[in-house]
Amino acid sequence: MRKGLFYGLLFTAPAIVGFLLFTLGPMIASLALSLTDYNVFKAQTAWVGLDNYIRLFGGEDELFYQSLGVTFYFVLLRVPAVIIISFAVALLLNMNVRGKSIFRTIIYLPSIVPAVASAMIWMWLLNPDLGLLNSALSAVGLPTSNWLYAENSVVPSVVLTTLWGIGGTVIIFLAGLSGIPKQYYEAIDVDGGGWYSKLRHITIPMVTPTIFFNTIMTIIGSFQVFNEAYILTEGGPNNRSLFYVFYLWRTGFRDTEMGYASALAWVLFVIILFFTYLTFRSSKSWVYYEGGGRS
Amino acid sequence: MKVLGRQTVSLLLATTMLAGVLAGCTRPADEPTAPPKGNGEGSPEPITLRMTVWGAPDELAAYKVAIDRFEKEFSHITVDLQHIATDYDTKLTTMVAGNDVPDIAMMESGTITFPLAEEGKFHNLQEFLDNDPNLSLDDLVPNLLYSLEPGHVIGIAPGPESFGLFYNEAMFADAGVEPPPSKASEAWTWDEFVETAKQMTLDTKGRNASDPDFDAKNIKQYGINFPTWWGGYSNFIYSNGGDFVSEDGQTFALNQPEAVEVFQNIADLINVHHVAPSPVQAKNIPATNVALQTKKVAMVIDGQWASTALAQSNFDYNVGVLPVMKQPMTTIVCGMFSMFKSTKYPQESWELMKYLIDPESSIDMITVGTWMPAYKSWYTEPELLARWTQNLPARPSGYKEAIIDVLLESSHQTPTGYVKNFSKIMDIVSPALDKVWLGQQSAQEALDAVAEKAQAQVQGRRNLE
Amino acid sequence: MRTSRPAMALGYVALLVVSALFLTPFVWLIRSSLMDLSQIFTMPPEWIPRPFQWGNFHKALTYLPFGAYFLNTSIIVIGTLVGTVLTSTIAAFGFSRIQWKGRDLVFAILLSSMMLPTAVTLIPSFLGWQMLGFYDTYYPLIVPAFFGGGMFNIFLLRQFYLTIPRDFDEAAVVDGAGYFTIYFKIILPLSRSAVIVVALFTFLGTWNDFMGPLIYLKSDQLFTLALGLQMFQGTYTAQWDLLMAASAAVVLPCVIVFLVGQRYFLEGITLTGLKG
Repeated sequence: MRKGLFYGLLFTAPAIVGFLLFTLGPMIASLALSLTDYNVFKAQTAWVGLDNYIRLFGGEDELFYQSLGVTFYFVLLRVPAVIIISFAVALLLNMNVRGKSIFRTIIYLPSIVPAVASAMIWMWLLNPDLGLLNSALSAVGLPTSNWLYAENSVVPSVVLTTLWGIGGTVIIFLAGLSGIPKQYYEAIDVDGGGWYSKLRHITIPMVTPTIFFNTIMTIIGSFQVFNEAYILTEGGPNNRSLFYVFYLWRTGFRDTEMGYASALAWVLFVIILFFTYLTFRSSKSWVYYEGGGRS
Repeated sequence: MKVLGRQTVSLLLATTMLAGVLAGCTRPADEPTAPPKGNGEGSPEPITLRMTVWGAPDELAAYKVAIDRFEKEFSHITVDLQHIATDYDTKLTTMVAGNDVPDIAMMESGTITFPLAEEGKFHNLQEFLDNDPNLSLDDLVPNLLYSLEPGHVIGIAPGPESFGLFYNEAMFADAGVEPPPSKASEAWTWDEFVETAKQMTLDTKGRNASDPDFDAKNIKQYGINFPTWWGGYSNFIYSNGGDFVSEDGQTFALNQPEAVEVFQNIADLINVHHVAPSPVQAKNIPATNVALQTKKVAMVIDGQWASTALAQSNFDYNVGVLPVMKQPMTTIVCGMFSMFKSTKYPQESWELMKYLIDPESSIDMITVGTWMPAYKSWYTEPELLARWTQNLPARPSGYKEAIIDVLLESSHQTPTGYVKNFSKIMDIVSPALDKVWLGQQSAQEALDAVAEKAQAQVQGRRNLE
Repeated sequence: MRTSRPAMALGYVALLVVSALFLTPFVWLIRSSLMDLSQIFTMPPEWIPRPFQWGNFHKALTYLPFGAYFLNTSIIVIGTLVGTVLTSTIAAFGFSRIQWKGRDLVFAILLSSMMLPTAVTLIPSFLGWQMLGFYDTYYPLIVPAFFGGGMFNIFLLRQFYLTIPRDFDEAAVVDGAGYFTIYFKIILPLSRSAVIVVALFTFLGTWNDFMGPLIYLKSDQLFTLALGLQMFQGTYTAQWDLLMAASAAVVLPCVIVFLVGQRYFLEGITLTGLKG
């Protein structure tokens, strides 16, 4: 439909132009750089073709596979945890109770409080010798953990520390919940159904577009986790929290091997693209758009 | 294999961003640093020098004092102080890529400094030192310079930092235990140190760690808090006669007996004697003064910069000399000022540098405890010494012997200054050490396991005569 | 949603517990801002400052030109807000309410921009802006907001628009409305929640962004609040008491903006009354 094409492009023009101007260029630049040995400080840069990628996949760089594994583990743990917990909290915040504005703000607060405040609290909570969590656990006779300071528990511990930042995801769920027409719930009331019925037959289906969005965003974000490694763990112990983007940043800005870092970036790009694509494909079967779907 | 020059790469990167669309719409590019052409000292034409630093406002205040004094002397020069608050390396790297470098930059030896130096980005300050009528190498405290190779100085530090054994005087008095000595000649051996730490480690029932019934799972007070970063343990490796690489710089040396003994000793503090808490990373947290003040720990090994927070904490603390393996030793760690070769005013920049390292400019930072002076005279001449050590809360009674004397007589350069490819080597060593601290492997096993990979990263040393 | 009494009570208790947990960092921040440096890091933490150091605030906010930083940040935030709300809503409309060939492919390509770590596009982007002559200006920070404002927002709004029934559009078309009318009179009001979320996130993100200002700015008279906060970090330690006080002051507008903004989330739209 020609009219559709014209208006479609018109409305999306700023976004497309912005992409071409500000995003596409640097993306292509970094792709090109990944085929060189670009080092920011060196005077000469040479094309090396696929050498960087061969070095990555060929096993010469074991930190590549290490960081990939660590990151996958992180994503696997974090995405379900975040989605389920955020949704549950959003349901709580959606109740018509007194002071709900305050509650909502409180849930969002950790996301805007400076990272150092959250980091400090976690260091106190998770300190193996003096921390609160271990003291509480041993008080009731449960085994303690070394949390961030042991190889097996570091990634789950990092996931735990990120759960504070779910405020944004919760808010988006809230916005989604707010779009569900009251009549639907009233219909269930009329039929004599309880809260479980409402949840299962109205709330969740109606909110699938939001679940879909939050899932994609959490996947994309979790693959690119950086701050926790930078501030909390520095990749340890024994490289068990050497998250991919932290490793990438270290390669590009500490070792100034920008060409190699760009190759790392593009490998991650393909991985994220793949999982996003999978999620989009699956969405046809579980996401319900009341507006009639995407077509 | 096509080779592209730096300018070409920069241009390529910049142009691709526009994707050709804005071909006709560029504004004339701003000259990032556009000082008018001057021709050296004495010229009446106004000059602007630019320097980049990091640091908190009080540190900046010290630089500003230096700048004010400098500008008074050289009235035609203005100094533009650019403060890079965080992610210094990232920002500076970006500036280098964009050809927007300052005249003087504060640098830190562990990361991008030597790569920059190796590409010839910095002036050789030795030439300036040789030609300067007022300042020579002997005026400076040892180990204050960073060199690419002997004779090629790339950075001078505004002041050294060394390590000491800080302790809570009241805790020792209460326990009736002899506190750490401050004289190097009376320093504890490692075993004496461990013995004292055990006596100062208490479980919740008040038993100390030498007691056979000691309950290691319920410790309420630790004897010692030991830093597990390279700065902390390097003191002891040097004290034991070991090093990070061999004398000729060709062989990885941390798996040698001298170094291994140190690592094992530290790990044993945690896992065998239970006198030290598990190593927890704590970037920039003033853990030292808090741990001592709240009596969670009786002694702490830390850099002398900890004096500032300790001084403000209102409890009786003191500093002793580090325990000795074979010889007393302290590592000197410090940042540095470097001069970019692209500067249009090298001579003026050098003059500015002299003001920056002059203790007179940073007197406030020195008296409050964070810094130490760069000039030897401030350590050896009584009136100058008194100005920054007498009757100051940041300089307790043990300071002169434990910190100053050791610094003058038995100090060692930081490994980042002379071990080539230091970061990459440590990328391999630190994860192995994690296992040692956690008690999962003995130091010898852990370091032997990574020796080959670490060896592959060894590229020599910078201080071969 | 009418829920039974016991369910409500249980829910309320759960809410209280969760809120208490989430309140901890904020409480830690506030109590630290009123504390002496020596008290901040005691382990276990003390929650009441002894004594209350009200002076921290004055000291922190005058240590650095926070007044100027506040103005600067406001300029950037307002610019970004206007640009983002404007262009992200129309872009999302174009990606969801209009059928056109290649629409979904273009959307996917634009979305992929979020999948490349910014560490590797940092230097090329910087060089590009520098070549245009906009280094040390606010252009790199504000202009992109007028060009879509980020795929996060566009994607979010697209999802919301897709939940709005087509009947409205069709009814409007029958009445002779063009796309702009549909966008303005129907979609925008119905997606108020999502637009508010976008505005809130944009405000908060821009207010707290320090990386952008760090890379693109050079002169300290242009610096922002977030950058100012980073300046309390010293070489070996930071001036924590002042940093906490300044952080608390900087966070306060965010809290107020959020409190006010979230009141406008719709509480379940009733679709009757919107016909015609």
